[in-house]
Amino acid sequence: MAPLVRVQGLKKSFGDLQILNGIDLDVEPSEVVSIIGPSGSGKTTILRCINLLERADGGRIEVDGQVLCDEGPDGGIRFASKRDIRKIREEVGMVFQRFNLFPHMTALENVIEGPIAVKGMDKGAATERAHELLASVGLSHRADHYPLQMSGGQQQRVAIARALAMEPRLMLFDEVTSAVDPELAGEILLVMKHLAEQGMTMIVVTHEMGFAADVSDRVLFIDHGLVVEEGRASQVLGAPAEERTKAFLRAVLERAPMAEEGDDPDQLNEEPTWSSDPLAAEEAARDSAELARLRNEVAELRQQLFRSGTTRSEG
Amino acid sequence: MDLGFIADIVPEILEGLPTTIGLFLWSMLLSTVGGLLLALARMSAVGALRWFAVAYGWLIRGIPLLLIMFYVFFALPEFSRTFLLSPFWTAVAALSLWTAAYQAEAIRSGILAVDNGQYEAAEALGMTRAHYMRRIVLPQSVRIIVPPFMGNAINTLKQTSLATVITVPEMALITTRIISREFNALEPLLALAIIYLALTTLLVFGQAGLERAFRLKV
Repeated sequence: MAPLVRVQGLKKSFGDLQILNGIDLDVEPSEVVSIIGPSGSGKTTILRCINLLERADGGRIEVDGQVLCDEGPDGGIRFASKRDIRKIREEVGMVFQRFNLFPHMTALENVIEGPIAVKGMDKGAATERAHELLASVGLSHRADHYPLQMSGGQQQRVAIARALAMEPRLMLFDEVTSAVDPELAGEILLVMKHLAEQGMTMIVVTHEMGFAADVSDRVLFIDHGLVVEEGRASQVLGAPAEERTKAFLRAVLERAPMAEEGDDPDQLNEEPTWSSDPLAAEEAARDSAELARLRNEVAELRQQLFRSGTTRSEG
Repeated sequence: MDLGFIADIVPEILEGLPTTIGLFLWSMLLSTVGGLLLALARMSAVGALRWFAVAYGWLIRGIPLLLIMFYVFFALPEFSRTFLLSPFWTAVAALSLWTAAYQAEAIRSGILAVDNGQYEAAEALGMTRAHYMRRIVLPQSVRIIVPPFMGNAINTLKQTSLATVITVPEMALITTRIISREFNALEPLLALAIIYLALTTLLVFGQAGLERAFRLKV
């Protein structure tokens, strides 16, 4: 089967800053691909280029057989027409880090606006479908609430329902749990897991290593705008081959410091000296032990959530 | 102070009320359209439009309205007789040009208050830019625009009195005629002040009503 998404040699820079240095990525239908990597590595930019929220400088992107951008014979990049871009966007749902719901509309209104405006669906049918979608993300009881009346986790689930209402063939998730309280991330991840099980093709930019390990078919580790390592989730996350991947995973999982470009790595490896006051130091140690305990608890809870699979705590 | 005298002259001053209101409503209509166009020009991708909008605001907000009024009345017709307008329409033109510069800023602040993330969400859903402006930006920015917009409206209402200097028979001109006829300034000026206060008070209530109507429901 032909890949649903085909990205070849994707390049993007902002001013002098080269963000993407030639990314290749194929995504098969129903495949879930997680993109991980340090902050500033370009992972979000890949998603934004696939949805043309950002215009690539070079390379070729194809979604569902339609060419979004391609390099001409002269090396310059050409983009699909405005109309074609809108058509492709109908097939690509995107969920943002900061939800980006329309605050003057209720959850239901947020979900039906796209189908009515873009697909020309009639209001009755759109509303019926929206109720189903809100139920599927566990928010039937919130249909008439405004975004500001909901928690971050709930807002993000509305945002997922809103994207799904367009009946997309591909969903892009851009660090969708980063802006919500940690204890609410699980409910979003659960919805995404269900979506993956239903066969949705997904590209997920994430810092949730548990999710990446559990749900994705494939993981890409990106750094400095290049794919450093790519493979099955268990391989990249469990037995990474590249030093850079190992350092990153250590930094994420153990909160160990990771040297950035220009940093002196020796300095980072020294014991942190926050305070010379022995009492304060003791307190800090207690705090960090407490934090570690809490972090373990959350991780365990999240694991349980995943194992519990199809049942959902919030109805 | 002679209250009987005030009662006598109020009806005479009010003969200028339709003119005052005419100046105000025409200026508000034209300056709102102009202000919207200027605000959009200021945020346009076209450099020349942005430049024009900035220069316009700088110029108009930097010189007195009285000067603009004189300019439209005396100077413009020297370029071409097509600019020769009646006193009333001269005042409308000057007030509109002047108010538009302020309304542009009020409208722009409202549009800018809608964060870019919503634009990206609308784009990602495949909405057109026009649909985004109408259904997403407008309802949210209106409630932000209302207070500064109505503040500008109150200013424009008061500034219609400047049309006196180009002989538009609005309330202030009639009042100055009464003063020179009666050799008495106290009561006519007091009466005029009370009428303006009543009108601006109506606008304040109007603003409160608009703010209620456009309040974000949460």
